[in-house]
Amino acid sequence: MGADRARDLADAGGVVSKRVRSGLLQRATSLLRNVTHREQDEREIAEEVNAHLSLLIAEKMRAGMKPDEAERAAHMELGGVEQVKEQVREARAGAWLDTLARDCRFALRMSRKNSGFTAVVVLILALGIAANTTVLSWISATLLNPIPGVAHTSDLVTVMRGDRSDHPTPPFSYLDLHDLSELTQTFSGLLGYHDDYMSLTGVAKPERIYGALTTANYFDLLGVHPILGRAFLPEEGTPGAGAAVVVIGYAVWQNHFAGDPQIVGKTIQINRHPYTVVGVAPRDFTGCAPGLRAELWIALSMDRDVWGFNRPDYRGIFWLNVLGKLRPGVTKNQAQAELNLLMQGIVERFPEDHRDSPSEISLDPLWRSPFGINGYLYKILPMLLGLAGVLLLLACANVASLLLVRSVGRRREIAIRLGMGASRKQIVRQFLIESLLLGLLGGTAAIVITKWTSHSLVAFFPPSTLPLTNDAHIDQGVLFVTIGVSILAAIIFGMLPALRSSSMPVQSVLKEEATSVSLTLHKSRLLSGLVVAQISLSLVLLVCAGLFTRSLQKAQQSDPGFEASHLLLASYELSPAGYTRATGAAFDRQVLDRLSALPGVESVSLADFSPLSFSIHSDYLQLEGYVPQPHESMEISRAIVGPNYFRTLRTSVVSGREFTEGDTADSQLVAVVNQAFVDRYWPGENAIGKQVTDGGDRFTVVGVARNAKYRLLTSPTEPVIYLPSYQAYSPTHDTTIHLRTTGDPRTMASSVEETIHQLNPELPLFNVNPLSVTMQLGTLFGRVAATFAGSFGLLAMLLAAVGIYGVVAYTTRQRTREIGIRMALGAEKGGVYRLVLGQGFRLTLAGLLVGTALSLTLTRLLKAQLFGVSATDAITFASVGLLVAVVALLACHIPARRATRVDPMVALRHE
Amino acid sequence: MTQEQTNLLQGTLDLLILKTLRLGEMHGLGISRRIEQITHGTFSVKTGSLFPALRRMQEEGWIKSAWGESEANRKAKYYRLTKAGMKQLETETAKWERIVLGISRTLEAS
Repeated sequence: MGADRARDLADAGGVVSKRVRSGLLQRATSLLRNVTHREQDEREIAEEVNAHLSLLIAEKMRAGMKPDEAERAAHMELGGVEQVKEQVREARAGAWLDTLARDCRFALRMSRKNSGFTAVVVLILALGIAANTTVLSWISATLLNPIPGVAHTSDLVTVMRGDRSDHPTPPFSYLDLHDLSELTQTFSGLLGYHDDYMSLTGVAKPERIYGALTTANYFDLLGVHPILGRAFLPEEGTPGAGAAVVVIGYAVWQNHFAGDPQIVGKTIQINRHPYTVVGVAPRDFTGCAPGLRAELWIALSMDRDVWGFNRPDYRGIFWLNVLGKLRPGVTKNQAQAELNLLMQGIVERFPEDHRDSPSEISLDPLWRSPFGINGYLYKILPMLLGLAGVLLLLACANVASLLLVRSVGRRREIAIRLGMGASRKQIVRQFLIESLLLGLLGGTAAIVITKWTSHSLVAFFPPSTLPLTNDAHIDQGVLFVTIGVSILAAIIFGMLPALRSSSMPVQSVLKEEATSVSLTLHKSRLLSGLVVAQISLSLVLLVCAGLFTRSLQKAQQSDPGFEASHLLLASYELSPAGYTRATGAAFDRQVLDRLSALPGVESVSLADFSPLSFSIHSDYLQLEGYVPQPHESMEISRAIVGPNYFRTLRTSVVSGREFTEGDTADSQLVAVVNQAFVDRYWPGENAIGKQVTDGGDRFTVVGVARNAKYRLLTSPTEPVIYLPSYQAYSPTHDTTIHLRTTGDPRTMASSVEETIHQLNPELPLFNVNPLSVTMQLGTLFGRVAATFAGSFGLLAMLLAAVGIYGVVAYTTRQRTREIGIRMALGAEKGGVYRLVLGQGFRLTLAGLLVGTALSLTLTRLLKAQLFGVSATDAITFASVGLLVAVVALLACHIPARRATRVDPMVALRHE
Repeated sequence: MTQEQTNLLQGTLDLLILKTLRLGEMHGLGISRRIEQITHGTFSVKTGSLFPALRRMQEEGWIKSAWGESEANRKAKYYRLTKAGMKQLETETAKWERIVLGISRTLEAS
């Protein structure tokens, strides 16, 4: 150090850099030579030392010594041939490589020698790490890479209007978006899209495909380049002048057109209209709504052809979801302020078109975009990652305690190495390398496990009308983090045993008997501390698991406001099949007539959504006698339902009446609202007879229905308005048959399909499932949380049990002699049992106390995700505490019972 | 011996070896005897320090070695200074002079 500083002083000039460089090169060459010419080098060293020795001897003899005297003196002066050789080796460039290789070889030998121990440790670590990598792979596939196939999404934002909601509506009309795109200075571009199902027709088997109408800049702004053909041209997006062109997804190209390399330029049919294929999207790309899989893209100017509307022409129809690309250096807040300002100007110019809409615009980065699945996942995935982190910490504590116990068995080995002149640093390094090896083995095993578990998120998706997609896998980022986590874990669990072993008093260890040495460990606070940590962390995880499970139970037991059992759902879509408003309504009527005549059908109705599957729509409404607050969104859930809907769903109508066959296009327009609607907008008033305006039509409320939950079981009931299907009919929405059966709804599936196909053999029927199955989507996130927190919790308990068992069993074995003496002196078996169990009990109790305190602080963070239970739910805490206590004491029972069987004679003779 | 002392001595040893080799090529024992002689025994270079130092300096490219015959017709490895070694000797000398100067000034001042 002194020399270095002196050199710095001396080299104050510019010489230093040049010399360092040439020195580096020189050293690198030496390193290479040392590595490649190892044997020759060894020979050289040996020869030189020997030559030196003989020179020395010759010198001594010249000075008059006798040969043997001279040789002895020479050896004395040299100080040991082997030592000198070793010192030269250490001076050799790359000496650290040698040491590292030697340590690694030694570590490998040690782990092979104790293959059972190694396997256990690697398994524990693998589970702990895999929990993290699994959640990470999901986070990577959803929050970090929200748009598959688009690498850089950090400058993209989604645009939402009104209060933050789980189910926001599209913010802009085409004309508003167009004006904003022209005016904005903060965005390099704004793209708009509207996604929904389309039908690929004119092929052997028509198929519903989720697709999007997009602005012409859609692909360019996202930076997605078609693998064949091109994206849209600017003029193709202009309403009125647009072209019937389509970009198809990779899957559509492969599945329907057999990957035809000449597909570009060919004509395909969508919703019975011809389109020219201009491009094929890259394989990964599935649209820009996170979690939803779109596979067809058409310029939005074709709205009339695809869905039968002319929405681009209307400034007052907000139907486009919007993504903006921020200009470099522009912050989200600046862009938000600008958009709000610009929008204010537009609203002032066109007040009529923006009467009902909320004006406040907010931007979100894609990872927490409320459009798509991330709006839900960004709340639970980081939480699960936190729990997985706790599990890994516990696994580290567990492995650390196992290593500590084992290091006692290696005390002699280490003492000998220290005695032979190994430095403390060398011992620590050796231990850490062994830990690193274990960590990396664990990490590798974790990656193998994660290969399976990363796909498990998809398993939670029930059959659904939504094109849910999730492509979680181990990507490069996850791989790097796994390696990093393995190394970090190794340092955490390896440091304690390493430091502890290296600081042992060599003399006493070598002199003393093994048993008395270990007695010092039996008092070790460190080991006890690790056990307490494991028990408390497992308690934390189990409490979280318990709270999630109870939330899920509460949600599942909660009254959704309808009766889900014995209900079969089946959906069809009429507009792609060529139906109009009039023919569609007639078809629906026939369907209801035929189905209600089937044996085993109690009642049947239709709706444009199904409960708890994220399929309910909404509209901007004007309500008689209600003045919205400034910025209040009057966008309200709106269900279009057939006659007898409430009877079929068993949602009671508390006042007034439900829809009947008589509510037709020719009769008075009527509506039913739910109680939440009345409570919110007409509190304390009689809702019957009030007027509601929806898109220019005035409906009169004729009934009030009980509240029912249509989005998530855990979200509060929201206002809903129901409109009769024959009056508010639109053939463009899916129509879902709701069939109440007397028996198992599944058995009716085939006769329902037959009935529909008798009416129209061409019409595809999809998502034929019992409601009890499809409504699983409404508890999707609760089930994910409960399942994973639950498995983390159980794993944690298992680890903690192994941990406390290991430590108590070990210390008991070390106390065999002491117990033998006690028994020889007349101690009762019961006393010995209590002695051992008492140790376990004290550790457990401490763990429970620490764990409860920890849980009380941590569970508060979960509050928002819980349903029907408080974050400090006494029942959960008490039962989890009891469970952990019982399991821990059971784990201690085994060594305690073994202790009572100690034969005093054997124990005393032992050692 | 603490780390600092080792480093300081190591640096000094390099300087002494370089200076010694300036006179011409020499084998290990010769170097160590020459240093003892010049310093009147203040420094006695142990074999365990000499050979690692020679090795290190070789790898830095300051000295080169070749097998040869000693005075008494014995095999010995001879070391000689390279161009880089000459330069290094200059810098080390300058450095040493600065240290000496710095230290003596410090000592005089107090």
